[in-house]
Amino acid sequence: MDGMTPETMKILANAIVLGASALGAGTAMIAGLGPGIGEGFCGGKAVEAIGRQPEASGAITRTMIIGDALAETTGLYALVIALLLMYANPLLGKLI
Amino acid sequence: MPTALMLASEGGITVNGPLVVADNLFGIPGFKLTESIIVQWVVIAILLAVVLAISRNLKVIPETKRQMAAEWIVSFFVDTVDTTMGKKYNKYRAYIMALFCFIMIQNLMGLLGLRSPTSDVSVTGTLAVITFCLVQYNKGKTGKFKGYMKSFVEPLPFMLPFNIIGEFANPLALALRLFGNMIAGTVINALIYFALGKLAILIPAIASLYFDIFSAVMQAYIFIMLSMSYISSADCEG
Repeated sequence: MDGMTPETMKILANAIVLGASALGAGTAMIAGLGPGIGEGFCGGKAVEAIGRQPEASGAITRTMIIGDALAETTGLYALVIALLLMYANPLLGKLI
Repeated sequence: MPTALMLASEGGITVNGPLVVADNLFGIPGFKLTESIIVQWVVIAILLAVVLAISRNLKVIPETKRQMAAEWIVSFFVDTVDTTMGKKYNKYRAYIMALFCFIMIQNLMGLLGLRSPTSDVSVTGTLAVITFCLVQYNKGKTGKFKGYMKSFVEPLPFMLPFNIIGEFANPLALALRLFGNMIAGTVINALIYFALGKLAILIPAIASLYFDIFSAVMQAYIFIMLSMSYISSADCEG
């Protein structure tokens, strides 16, 4: 760090933070796996249930939609974190 | 000196928050008039116009298509509230119907090229806070003071912190679910337009069909369904 002006150090620090944030945003979206599996499971079970009891399809679909929405929550938390890292980065400028 | 923020947006995609039309209104610092609020006024005007137009000259036996449509809409919400919350909660019908129409029209504002107000977390947060207040009200009303306090130490006293966290996690998840879905649509549409450039002809329409129409109606429905089940499950009498 001897030959660096404060300006260069600032740019370097921000570059590291930005790169890491982009990686972090991508990594956060691995959480998309969970809701995918959950919703697939939910939909599959609903199809099974409708196959067994076609007359209850309305109630089953309503319940399935609520289940889907709840399964989606963790994925949306990850999305919010990824968006924060990309567009409203709280970490920029923390170092210097 | 190139700042980091400029590097991030250089030649790339920027997804802006809602425009701030006026800042520090009435001399109060931080009191802003944003795009979301203006679009919400438009939504309220649309809803008011539709409701006034649809509910004029009602007859006991419906004659016009207009009245049949109105009756179909009302009976849909009456059925939904009755099957989800039970007959006991029939006074919530009007609120649930208003909530659904308000959220749905807000979500559909994306079709007109406006930024839908629900992709602003303060709008969805407000709606979730209303549901949170109704949950607390219903808890206090059904259980009185004793039942209200007791509901936090059930089933076992050491569950107290988890119950309190859970009480606040529900509206948070409710707000973030609607916000996340709508902002995801906004961001993905922006990405598609950016990636296709001048060739953006058919593909954005298909994406818009999903994000602006299907997802919009679906998220409004999910919001009212979850609100209803939160309110009716906050019944201390069991």
